[in-house]
Amino acid sequence: MANRDTILASLKANKPKLIDLPFIDAAVFDEQLDLAAEFTKILEVVGGNVVAVSNDDEIASHLQNSFSELPIKYSTIDESYGSIDLETIANPKDLENLDVLVLESTIAVAENGAIWLADKNLPIRVLPFITKHLAIIISKKDIVPYMHQAYTKLNNTESDDYGVFISGPSKTADIEQSLVIGAHGALSLTVYLKG
Amino acid sequence: MSHPNLASIFNKDEKRVDWHDKALWFVRHKRDRSVHNVKGWESLRELGHGIKAHTLSNIDNYLIQFEVNALNNGVQVHWAANAEEHNQIVHKILKKNNAKKVVKSKSMLTEECHLNPYLEADGIEVIDTDLGERIVQLAKEPPSHVVLPAIHKDRHQVDELFQEHLGTEPCDGDPQYLTAEARKHLREKFIQADVAITGVNFAVAETGGFVVCTNEGNADMGAHLAPVHIACMGVEKIIPKQEHLGVFLRLLARSATGQPITTYSSHFKKPRKGAKMHIVIVDNGRSEQLSRPDFRASLHCIRCGACMNTCPIYRRSGGHSYDYTIPGPIGSILSPGKDLKKYSTLPFASTLCGSCSDVCPVKIDIHSQLYKWRQIITKNTPQPFIKKKSMKVMGQIFAKPSQFEKIGKVARWSLRNLPKSFINSKPNAWGKARDLPKGPKQSFDDWHKQREDNKLKNK
Ligand code: SF4
Repeated sequence: MANRDTILASLKANKPKLIDLPFIDAAVFDEQLDLAAEFTKILEVVGGNVVAVSNDDEIASHLQNSFSELPIKYSTIDESYGSIDLETIANPKDLENLDVLVLESTIAVAENGAIWLADKNLPIRVLPFITKHLAIIISKKDIVPYMHQAYTKLNNTESDDYGVFISGPSKTADIEQSLVIGAHGALSLTVYLKG
Repeated sequence: MSHPNLASIFNKDEKRVDWHDKALWFVRHKRDRSVHNVKGWESLRELGHGIKAHTLSNIDNYLIQFEVNALNNGVQVHWAANAEEHNQIVHKILKKNNAKKVVKSKSMLTEECHLNPYLEADGIEVIDTDLGERIVQLAKEPPSHVVLPAIHKDRHQVDELFQEHLGTEPCDGDPQYLTAEARKHLREKFIQADVAITGVNFAVAETGGFVVCTNEGNADMGAHLAPVHIACMGVEKIIPKQEHLGVFLRLLARSATGQPITTYSSHFKKPRKGAKMHIVIVDNGRSEQLSRPDFRASLHCIRCGACMNTCPIYRRSGGHSYDYTIPGPIGSILSPGKDLKKYSTLPFASTLCGSCSDVCPVKIDIHSQLYKWRQIITKNTPQPFIKKKSMKVMGQIFAKPSQFEKIGKVARWSLRNLPKSFINSKPNAWGKARDLPKGPKQSFDDWHKQREDNKLKNK
């Protein structure tokens, strides 16, 4: 505890006089975005694939067509789609061979294509990272324009123990700045946009 | 070694320097394109600056609030006054958990503390999992950039490193193949790890949670698979509220690479069931920097790297020429606070063009701070004889206009008439890699006078 107190004491002694905390006025940034169009545009720029759908059957048939050859699947939406039982997963490491994962989200951000996934809709945290292909279902009505509104929404719901904004498949440009899709996380991201 | 000496080593490979210069300038361009799309970007920067300035002015209380909330979340909190203590704390946690294998995602703080060699000395395997960091780790080098750690390496060097250490096939530096091989190699490490260490981009006092940003997904792969997660943060990573993340996450990736946001922005609050989470809060010279009114704003830094990408000196001298964990303009205002003598050449590694301050998302007055450090360094450290003498002579010349006029005439004549071998002789550092211009016949003063006279005549 000695360290803690010395560090805090020296920060206290060295800090300047209290400066006011600025107020965030989100209206300053508002451009009246067409939310679904902007979200789709940006998500495609960052390497995601957006599919507009009007009902669950369309999602099911698109999934069927896209990933038919891949055997190991899991969906939090449709039990019949999955080939594994999460109850039998003793250790997250056992998910290593997962091919396709389907999840649902209730917050997406137009300005950067980010989608919020949290413990509530994420039975095991490593799922969206360890899977080879990730599909997320989101309703058009759940798209907010900017990060400010996303956090307002998060502040108004019960706080999550863990949550992540995901924008596109994992990527790196660490070798001579050439972009490669598929670093450690998912190799592809498909977003089903409902409504 | 001084910055000029280290820079001249980097400058030996001219083609490489050109590539480095252009590659980083391109990243700067991507940043420009991206931020020009954001309505109210300048207000966003103002907010970033204001929130950080406020936070520093109440930092002790926010850290206490953060600690209370983190403890309530079931996270263990540790405090380290310096690098040594930080390493000891991490080491102790590893020992307690019988950990032999550690995966680490990007954390400039653990670089600053030299954590890897400390742990390796005790036979613990530490694997850096960010691809760029893994590359420099295999090459036994430090990162040369905070966001692009291996930007100084070309694809063929990576190819060779991977052949040697990962047993890959020769591939003429194919980034696709090399990245896929790194994915396989590191997947194995993630699966085997006993402990995952991550950095912290933002710690939120209000929730006791913290955010880690990556594009590769390596922080999450590590933290969600290993039974223990240790997050290491400098005291200045604290922000008051969750809503402030909205400001910083909008600023960070756009300034860094031009992306609208990093692929993953992970919000950790409570450990997953059955797992443990630790946070190590580190001072290591930060409270001292806070005590310097002229330099405390350097603690606003969110490590986006924009000041490096835009800096004409950094782009042409490479990150290693700074010989400090954080290179570039921001490194040059942080390092003298740590060791004035050792880093005395860094504030001079700048043209003072101010481009760094223009791009900085949290509006740090980087170039004015560089200038202020110069004043302090010149007073407090011995300066080279030539520099001292020539400054004195210059001062005398500038002090008397008539004398300045006379000497100017001689200089202009000399530039026109003396042989190049004389003009570019050794003491003239400016003549090293370039020719000086031909001296004009007229001085500016003469030209201006003549112009005014002509105006009068023509009236
Ligand atoms: S000083 Fe500013 S521009 Fe440089 S890395 Fe830090 S936040 Fe980015």
